[in-house]
Formats: sequence, structure tokens, C-alpha cells
Amino acid sequence: MDQSRQITAMQAGAIMGSTIIGVGVLPLPLFAVRAGGSAAPLVTLIGLLVGSIGLSIIIWLGIRFPRKSIIEYSEDLIGRWPSWIGSLLIIGFFAVLTSLAAREFGEVVVTSVLKSTPVEVTVIVMLLLAAIATRNAITTFAYMHYFYFPLLLVPGLLIVALSLKNAEAINLQPIWMQHSHGVIRGVLTIAALFQGNFIMTMVIPSMIAPRKSIKAGFWGMTIGGGLYVVIVAAAVAVFGAEEIKNLLWPTLELAKATSLPANVLERLDAAFLAVWVTAVFTTLLTSYYLTIYATRQIFRLADHKMLSFFMLPFVFAMAMMPQNIVQMYDIVEQVGQIGLCITIGYPALLIMISLMRKKRGKPVADQ
Amino acid sequence: MPIFHGTNTKKHQYKSTDAPPSEFLASHKDDRINESIEDTIAFIMKLIGSNTDLTTRRFRVFGEYEAVLFYYTNLVNHTNINVDILKALMYKPDHLSKKTIEKHQLKDILLNDTLYQSETKLESNAALLVDGIMRGGTVVAVEGIDEAFVIGTRTIESRSIDQPATEQVIRGPREGFVELLGTNISLIRYRLPSADLRIDAMEIGQRTKSKVAICYMDGITNPALVKDVNSRLSKIHIDGILDSGYLEQFIEDNHFSPFPQVQYTERPDKIVANLLEGRVAILVDGSPLALVVPTVFNQFYQTVEDYTERYLLMSAIRLARLVALMFSLIFPSLYVAIISFNPELIPTEFAVAVAGGRAGVPYPAIIEVLIIETSMEVLREATIRLPQQVGGALSIVGVLVIGQAAVAAGFASPITVVTIALTTIGSFATPAYNAALALRLLRFPLIIMAGLFGLYGIMIGLILIANHLLSLRSFGVPYLSPLVPGNFEGMKDLIIRGPLPWLKKRPHFLQTTDRTRFDEQQPQPSPSGREPELLKPLKNDDNGE
Repeated sequence: MDQSRQITAMQAGAIMGSTIIGVGVLPLPLFAVRAGGSAAPLVTLIGLLVGSIGLSIIIWLGIRFPRKSIIEYSEDLIGRWPSWIGSLLIIGFFAVLTSLAAREFGEVVVTSVLKSTPVEVTVIVMLLLAAIATRNAITTFAYMHYFYFPLLLVPGLLIVALSLKNAEAINLQPIWMQHSHGVIRGVLTIAALFQGNFIMTMVIPSMIAPRKSIKAGFWGMTIGGGLYVVIVAAAVAVFGAEEIKNLLWPTLELAKATSLPANVLERLDAAFLAVWVTAVFTTLLTSYYLTIYATRQIFRLADHKMLSFFMLPFVFAMAMMPQNIVQMYDIVEQVGQIGLCITIGYPALLIMISLMRKKRGKPVADQ
Repeated sequence: MPIFHGTNTKKHQYKSTDAPPSEFLASHKDDRINESIEDTIAFIMKLIGSNTDLTTRRFRVFGEYEAVLFYYTNLVNHTNINVDILKALMYKPDHLSKKTIEKHQLKDILLNDTLYQSETKLESNAALLVDGIMRGGTVVAVEGIDEAFVIGTRTIESRSIDQPATEQVIRGPREGFVELLGTNISLIRYRLPSADLRIDAMEIGQRTKSKVAICYMDGITNPALVKDVNSRLSKIHIDGILDSGYLEQFIEDNHFSPFPQVQYTERPDKIVANLLEGRVAILVDGSPLALVVPTVFNQFYQTVEDYTERYLLMSAIRLARLVALMFSLIFPSLYVAIISFNPELIPTEFAVAVAGGRAGVPYPAIIEVLIIETSMEVLREATIRLPQQVGGALSIVGVLVIGQAAVAAGFASPITVVTIALTTIGSFATPAYNAALALRLLRFPLIIMAGLFGLYGIMIGLILIANHLLSLRSFGVPYLSPLVPGNFEGMKDLIIRGPLPWLKKRPHFLQTTDRTRFDEQQPQPSPSGREPELLKPLKNDDNGE
């Protein structure tokens, strides 16, 4: 067996699923409700579809060039220097994404559980955790996602199941959007939450059977995106669209509003947040790994280990840039929308050039 | 029997040598002995003659040829030497008594007609002769023969085969390994009389020259694994291997990991089971603990009994063991986190009771837990060191009295004591001592994390531990196999122990040459396919018709 190709389709699916489920889930119902009111689940679904288009392009490219990542095949397609611009944009974007995710979760922790801890501490702890984990090979990276993925689904689904007690079906009506104002923006914001899927471009060159990435992508998106829709639906059903507009992290409030039967734990929010550390970690891991893996490839380094700590101060500094939560979420939205150009627009450009130039990578013997 | 035999023939003129014997030997390792026994005696005396336990005995073979015999007095069986060597050499065999023996025939006749020992070989290399004596052999040099006989006469006192002290079972074999390699190999061979069982030997340790046996099943074990084990072992350079634990530390993949990457056992049946699964066992002369590689995490909470008792019950017990394992790792830190950061998580009545118990305690929960945990570790260590007769008393005094008094004195809260007690008991439920040690150790950083960051800190700690486990490999096998990377066959024997007929395949991650344990063609005995009429039901109406 080819030693460098060890990642199975199931692991690839888990990578996508656990990357999607992350800190973005906490404010997700708010984004969706702002865009579509009670049609929030529908908005989420559309966001999911937009995200899927991006993923499809990545996978399509990945299958055309099964031995190379986007950093490498973009050089073949558009030449070395133009591709450097694209690659540097990718690296920069994912570094920013990492820092924002760390900051976002840092704020969540500081606001809701560790009230007297400075946000710098929680941010650096999360970043360190991710940085240490990125020092491993891509196989171990896949193992990590595969290991944590089921653990992420449990708290998410548990919260949804327990909140059914307080849910009102009437809150979900009307299902269709009442006005088109802000819908596009909301859809794009939600689609931006799926950007971690870009990691597939790094994963496919290590997959045993690159063609199975289609199946993996489908299942990863279905499970991860499905959880998005379900959580949004549950939050809207419990609180109603108008109430959610006043909540910063409706998912966390959802956890607060529920309790386990038999009063085992009186409140679930702290426990939920603790378990959610895993979800945030996997998301951070993906974007951080993407950053340093891409940097490694662009500079043609043999090893990415030293990069993980080299990048840390920059990422941390960026995470500390936003002055407060409000400014941070503005930046999150803007960066997300700019990011869509990089994670969907740039690959779309590449696939068109690839189709026009009829360029393909060396195929791999699929098993 | 006198311990040391003084012999008249001992010569002391070579006693002072400049270099230690081992260096002298190393520089003369290609020297050969010649036909003169005086030269041979001089050489051996120069090297090891100053040892009081070396016996040198001159005699005459068949009454005519001068000969000499060397051995270490306490390493050999004297009856054996007297009757089977000395007597046999002094008297001509009956069937040759009429013939005269020429000098050139002597070597042949001595080897083929005279010596009654099966383990006899001719050797001319002087260094190897000395080595033979060192290992408990008897060296016989005869005037006129340019080679000497090395006869295996070693007898070492050893303890008898006992119940394994650390891995006792209720149902299962009662034999454990002893120190002697030969005995241990015999224990394996008699359980596994298969031609496929291969035992390779190796010597490790420049001075101890410990014999190391590498056992594997030809046709099952992946040859690449055997090669890897051999190459890792052959790279060890150390003066002495006193236990298999030394080897473990040289061949493991990650020296800095708290988790053991090599399993050890003193049960021959466990070794056989592992060999059949496709693993490699390493035995060292002088150690009653054999090593098994590669090792994955799930082996540490499995026991032999899991397979000897029925699956339903043992699956439940295995689950209990897993719970105990998790308990021993996270229970105290969970307690600290909830008490100091999130008391709202637990039901109000209980929270009030906990707060009441802690009312007089002067320290924050983390300090309290750390103090009690540390004293528990001290007690545990003391119980191991103490003689058995006092040990029981100490554990009662230590645990019961001190615990009770600490609570009464307002030094610790009762809940803390309960927590620590549960944790300690939980760590004893883990069958593998080395894995329990790792978890015991990791508990402390987790408690500190919990004290700093609450539940968030525990999760950070657990993620770090899990990431480490995920990145760990034992001889190339991912440590959490078969959970990660997923393998459905392996899951049947992971958390529960599936019924034996389900476990048709060998562990996938070992990449064995022969994947299946059973012949698929043969029907497995199952209750439904069994003959229903083995015993006819008793009839009441058999009172004569």
C-alpha cells in the first residue's frame, strides 16, 4: 500500500463534518434569523447549498489533480507567480479565519463561564492547543477529526432533542421568507461558515481513493450541515424569531434553557460549552493546519512542524485586533464574505482554466 | 557441599594482568588453542584463574592422555560431571576396551563413543571456551587435541512455576513465567505445539550477554514486524539487560510519552494468545515478564478472563473497567471544576450539602484535592515498600484513620475524601499496572487545569491527552486501533467482548499474513444447528408396557 495515502473516505467525511461544526454554531441562529426571520432554517439550507457548490469545485479539482493540493496545481495551471498571489491569499485568509475563531470562542468562554479570566488567556490557550496538534502528520490530523467527530454530534443532537420539550411549531411559521432584504447577505454569512471544507484540497492528495472524496464530501456536508439546520430550527422553535434577535449566542441559550431528565445536571450550558471546546478545537485545527500546510508547500519546505509555532504570534496578534465583540462579529461577517471569493471564486477560476487548457494531474490507481 | 573447591593444581603466577579480562579477550578474540594443554591452562588461568569458584581438575583420559577440566563450581551439576564426564573419560567404553586407541582417533572416539552428554561441541577458539565456562559449561581439554570440548552442564537454581502475582484470574490457567528463559520457552511451546512457532535468539548487553528470545508465528505475523523488532533490538548497546523493562525502554516509539507502548505479561497463555493474534513476544533470560509488541491502548483494559468466561458477563465487566479507567483519570478534576467554578451544574440540595461539608475547610478545592491526592500516593507507595505483615495494618491506619481524622479536624471535606477514594480504587481496577500509572500521573495536571480554568481546563487537558494518544504509534500501529482508524471487525472486541464465534478475523491493524482465525468452510457449532436428540426427554409413562 502507498504509505503516503492512508486517509479513508470515512475519515475525510469526518474531517469535513467536524470542521463545519465549530464555534460558528453558537451565533448561527442569530445570523439566520437576521436574514430570514422565521424562515431561518431555509436560509441555513440555502447557505449550505452555496457552501456545497464551493466544496464541489474543490473536490472536482482534487479529482482532476489527485496527487496535488491547490497550492501545487495552481502553479501548473496559471503559472508560478500568479499562483503565488492566490496561494498567499489563501494562507492569509485562513490565518485570519483561525485567529477569528479563536477570538470568538475566547469571548464566549470569558463571557459565559470564566468571567474574571482575561480574553487573551483563553485565546492563547485555544491557539496553543491547535498549534501543538498541527505538529503531526496529515494522517494523525485525519485520526483526530475521526476520533472527535462522533463526540461533537452527541452534545449538538442532545441539546436539540432536549429542547423539543419547550419547542412551539408556530414559531417556525411562516417557513418562506417574507422579504428579500438581507437574505443574500445572511446566506453568504452562513455559507462562509463552511469554508473550512477547503481542507479537502490538502486531504485528497493523501486519500487512498481520491474519487471517494465525492461521497465523503456528501456525507460530511449532510451531517455537519444537517446539524446546522436542525439547531437553527430548534432555536427558532424554542425562542421565536424576534427573541433570537436579542440573543448573541442563541445556541448557548438553548443549552441554558434545557436540562437533563431526572435533574442529573441542573444546567447544561457550562457542560455544553466544555464539550464544545472539542468542536472549536477541530475547526481551529483545520484552519491552522491549512495555513501552515499551505505555507510549507509554497516555500517547498520538507516539514511543517516548526511553522506551527512560528505562525502563532501572528495569529494571536490578529486575534487580539478587534476591540470588542460587536466589532469582532462585523469583521467575521466581512472576512467571511471576502473569503468566499477566495474559497469559491478562485477554485472556480482554476477549474475553468483547467477545463479550457485540458490539463489534468497524474491519475492514481483507485482501490 | 563446600561452596568453593580449592584445587591443588591452581596456578597463581598469572594472577596479575594489566587489562581486565574482557578487554584482553576482545583483543585476543581470534586466538586458537593448540595441542598442549599447558598452554590452554595458562590462557584460562590468566583470564579467570583468580576466581575462587573456578574449578580446575587434571586427570588422564583412558589412563594415558593428560587432560584438564574447567568449570565454575556453582553453575554446574556435580553428579553430572562426576559420572557422565569424569568417569566416562577415565574409563574406556566396554566395546573399545580391547582396542588400542591411536592419538588421531582420540577426538572422534571421545565425541562419538565416550561423552554421554547431548550438548557437547568441539571448540578451538579460546575466547569462546572462556565464554562457555562463564555460562556454566564444562571445558575439557585433552593433550594432543587442538580443540576442547564444551559440555553443557549448567544447572541454575530457580523458583518453581507459581501463580502469576500481578495477573491473577478466577477462571484460567494458573501458571506464570519464572526467571529462566528455558523454562519460559517450554511453557509457551507446550501450549503451542505448532511448527509455525519460531523462536529467534539474540544476545544483548555487552557484559551481561543476556539471552533474548523473539517469538512469533510464521505465516501469521507480518514479516515486516518481525524485521522491525529484530532491527530495533539489535541496535541496543548497553552493558547490562537485567529485566525486560530495560528492553522496553529501548524499543518503544516515543520515550517521552506517559503511556506504555509495549505490553508486558507474566502469563504464558496470554503470550500464546498474542502470538496467535499475530504479535511478537520478546522474552529475556532472567526476567519473568515477557514483552508483547505492537501494543494498542485497548489491551490495557482487557484481561485473560475476558475470553475464558462467557461473553455477556465479561462485556459488562469490561465496561465497568472502562468506567473505572475514566474515573481514575478525571474524577478529582471534575470535582474541583464543579466545586470551584460551576456549582450550579449539580442539583441544589446536593450543592448545599457539599458547601456545608466544605464549610470549615480553609483551602480552595484544588489545594485540598492536591493535598489528599498526594498523601494518597504516599500511602500507596508506602504500602508497596512495607513488609507484607505490616502492610495491611498501614493501609487501615493510613486510609481509614487518617481520612476520618482529616475530615473531623476540618482539614478536608467528606466529599473530597470520597472522591479521592473512588479515584484510587478506580485506578486499581485497571488490569495493566503501567497504564494505570500513566493515568495516575496525568490526573495531577488535569486537577491543576481544572483549578485554573474549570471544565474548560479539563477539556483542554483531555484534548491534549487524546491528541497525544492519536499521534502515538507502537511499531507503526496507531495506538487507538481499532477505534481509530476505524475497523468494524475490531470493534467487536473493543468495548464489549463479542462472542468468540464472531471474532473470526485477527486484528486488522496487525496486518497479519493470515487474516482469519477460523476455517470459514467449517460450520461453527451453534445452539440452533445442534442435534436436538442428544438426550431424550424423560417420559413419565415408562412403567412397563
